[in-house]
Amino acid sequence: MIRVEGIHKYFGTLHVLRGISLDVEKGEAVVVIGPSGSGKSTLLRCINLLVEPDEGRVFLEGTQVNRADIRREWVRQQVGMVFQSFNLFTHLTALQNVMLGLTQVKGISKDVAATKARQLLARVGLAAKEHAYPAQLSGGQQQRVAIARALAMDPKAMLFDEPTSALDPEYIREVLDVMTALAREGMTMIVVTHEMGFASSVASRILFMDTGMIIEEGTPDKIFHHPEHERTRSFVDKILR
Amino acid sequence: MTKRLPWNRENRWRWIDTLLAAIVVIGALLYVYELMVGSRGLQVDYIAANYGQYLRAVTVNLYMTTVAFVVGMTVGFFLGWLRTIRSVPVKKVIRDYTALADASSRSPFVRSGMLALTVAWTGVKYLVRRIGDAYVEIIRGTPLFVQILFAWSILVVNFPGLFTNPSSVAFTAGLVALTANTAGYQAEIFRAGLQTVHSGQVEAARALGFSRLGAMRHVILPQALRLIVPPLTNEYIGLFKASTLVFILGVQTEITFVANKNAFAGHVFEIFAIVTGIFLLITVVLAKVVQALESRFRIPGLGIQQTRSERHRARPAEVP
Amino acid sequence: MDTAAPARTERPRARLVTPTTALRGAEIAAGATLAILFFQEFLQFSLFDPNLWLAYGPIFLGGLGGTIRFILLVIPISVILGFFLGWARISLHRVLVWPVTMFVDFFRGMPPLVLVIFAFLFGDDLIPQAIKDRLLAGIPLRVVSVTAAALAIAFHSAAYQAEIFRAGFQSVPMGQLEAAQALGMKPWQAMRWVVLPQTFRLSLPPLGNELAVVIKDTSLLAAVAGGEIVSRSQNFAGTLSISGYPVEWLFAIWTAVAISYFAATFTVTRLLLVLERRFHTPGLEAVSI
Repeated sequence: MIRVEGIHKYFGTLHVLRGISLDVEKGEAVVVIGPSGSGKSTLLRCINLLVEPDEGRVFLEGTQVNRADIRREWVRQQVGMVFQSFNLFTHLTALQNVMLGLTQVKGISKDVAATKARQLLARVGLAAKEHAYPAQLSGGQQQRVAIARALAMDPKAMLFDEPTSALDPEYIREVLDVMTALAREGMTMIVVTHEMGFASSVASRILFMDTGMIIEEGTPDKIFHHPEHERTRSFVDKILR
Repeated sequence: MTKRLPWNRENRWRWIDTLLAAIVVIGALLYVYELMVGSRGLQVDYIAANYGQYLRAVTVNLYMTTVAFVVGMTVGFFLGWLRTIRSVPVKKVIRDYTALADASSRSPFVRSGMLALTVAWTGVKYLVRRIGDAYVEIIRGTPLFVQILFAWSILVVNFPGLFTNPSSVAFTAGLVALTANTAGYQAEIFRAGLQTVHSGQVEAARALGFSRLGAMRHVILPQALRLIVPPLTNEYIGLFKASTLVFILGVQTEITFVANKNAFAGHVFEIFAIVTGIFLLITVVLAKVVQALESRFRIPGLGIQQTRSERHRARPAEVP
Repeated sequence: MDTAAPARTERPRARLVTPTTALRGAEIAAGATLAILFFQEFLQFSLFDPNLWLAYGPIFLGGLGGTIRFILLVIPISVILGFFLGWARISLHRVLVWPVTMFVDFFRGMPPLVLVIFAFLFGDDLIPQAIKDRLLAGIPLRVVSVTAAALAIAFHSAAYQAEIFRAGFQSVPMGQLEAAQALGMKPWQAMRWVVLPQTFRLSLPPLGNELAVVIKDTSLLAAVAGGEIVSRSQNFAGTLSISGYPVEWLFAIWTAVAISYFAATFTVTRLLLVLERRFHTPGLEAVSI
């Protein structure tokens, strides 16, 4: 479904990604963990080409997509993304946020888009909040609208960039529940998160990244309880303790 | 192993970009120069011989600006403070008063008398605030040009005996109008600055036993000043620019020289260069000083940048 | 999920006239009347002298027309120019940033009066001969010069507005653009649907102040006898003693002129306020001090 081969990324003189390779099957939920600055977010952004990798290849369903003749907008329509800071469009209501991509990018009529947007808002449990502006919603509600907004584009896969780390503790649960349900329905997902409960119950695989490289990967049980590498062990110890 | 340096290409682009930018800027300057000077050639000796005259003229402007600014600041501060008075509905005043008075055991006669006093005091506060509002609105809603002419008319019609020569009438009228004008604008700056300081700060200060003035002096002003200094300096720059207007009354300033085109026929560009040089030197230097001051005295957590960190990553627009 | 609901997606309309605003309006009207009466009493003149309006009325109306013409010329030019200059200033390309910065710094640093006088005296020289021959043939020099002076005011304000719009653009967080791109929007779509609506809302309040300033700045055209209200009134005021009219008319004239400007700036700032309220969005309030 998503394959990444030998990706390198430089920001100026900073070598952020050092040869990452990754293969995600359809329906798989992969969780990426690692200390801050290890390149997790950049990896996600390289997959939907918000950041152009300097070297290496990105494949989507077998097609290489970081080629000059592939429209970046098309790639991003195929892969939904949820951000740490929600990034809901401040000037639009929850409903309008979900609709905007449908009407402007997909060219769907307003009525059809509104119906679909309402369904999605209901699915994330926010049917009652459709006319609220982002500033009038709690963090957890905003993030659920953001998930609905990404889902509206009918993505083949979803990328989650630390979706709960900007949330107050009491709102984390509701967002994770939506994500768990999504995974159970068979959505292909790559999730950067430090929620270990979520990782061990939902993830088919966990990647541990540090200094721009994948240090270790394996099942949740292996990474959390029997890590091979010293760096993995010390990191896991820190977040579990 | 060859190490790839992908930023190299970006650097080359940057270089071409910079070169093009420089070409455009210099080209535009040359174009203006060519149109204004043409084949005549720049007469450097004319500039050398005459710039002193303009510098002397500009000191008149600076002098008027400074006097008006300082006097206007005093007026403006109290005016701004007045405008922060909250207007309380009469109903609420009466309700609050009766609620308090019920607890005490005074005679009804004294009580109604006190109530009348309280209501009257509220009315006075309302009136004073509204007069302040009206002053600021009038000053900000009408052109300085008209204000200067108005001030001059008042001096000429109502105080004809006060001045012996016309140029001192003009100078005084200009100074009065500039002062009244900047007071109105500064009142608005002070009001915004004072209101931005959270009312909780006043409460905390008064809870510590500060008087109203003491709280203003020790708690609110130190915070408000940091918010106020940049717009105040911008106001000074604006007032300096506006002070050129007194030329319409015949006060000798650099503008007077410019306006008299015939006297300087043939030296169009030279005059342009001198006047532009003087003004840009003063205004741009002052503006840079504000920027420096602002970053120097910023307190973490105080100010618009911090409270809206997500959105305001850049300086908000200067107040025009 | 109630699918039968109408697809009402537009924002709920805010009420523009509430009891509070109506009360405020009455308060302002009463205040303005009181202020005028006070001035009349204090300076011993009458705004309602029929002789005054017989002599000054036509001049006043002509000047008012002139001022309105200049306002209608200057405001659109300054807003459009300011918007694009502000946009150019946040560009990553120095080719755009440097010339625009030079333009903005120059026009912001110069007093508008100096700009007006320069433009009036030398604006004609700044136009290339070819354009003059083709487009401006037959137009009197005076008209060209006064228009150049008006354009100087427009440019001066455009420089300030460029800063307003630049701040508006920069106030939209990068994350908004990123989210738009992640939905598959093209750059122009992200600009049109995500960045511009937010910039617009954030720029409205300071823009209102700036438009009031432009309106007042049109009075500077009197320095070059531009034929607007101040210059015509100045001419009339200058002939008062020769014509044998009472000298107190001076106050009446300048009060009338001041009221016109006040009405104009008041109208424009309130219009902007109405716009602001109409497009008000929680979480998108501009902060200005």
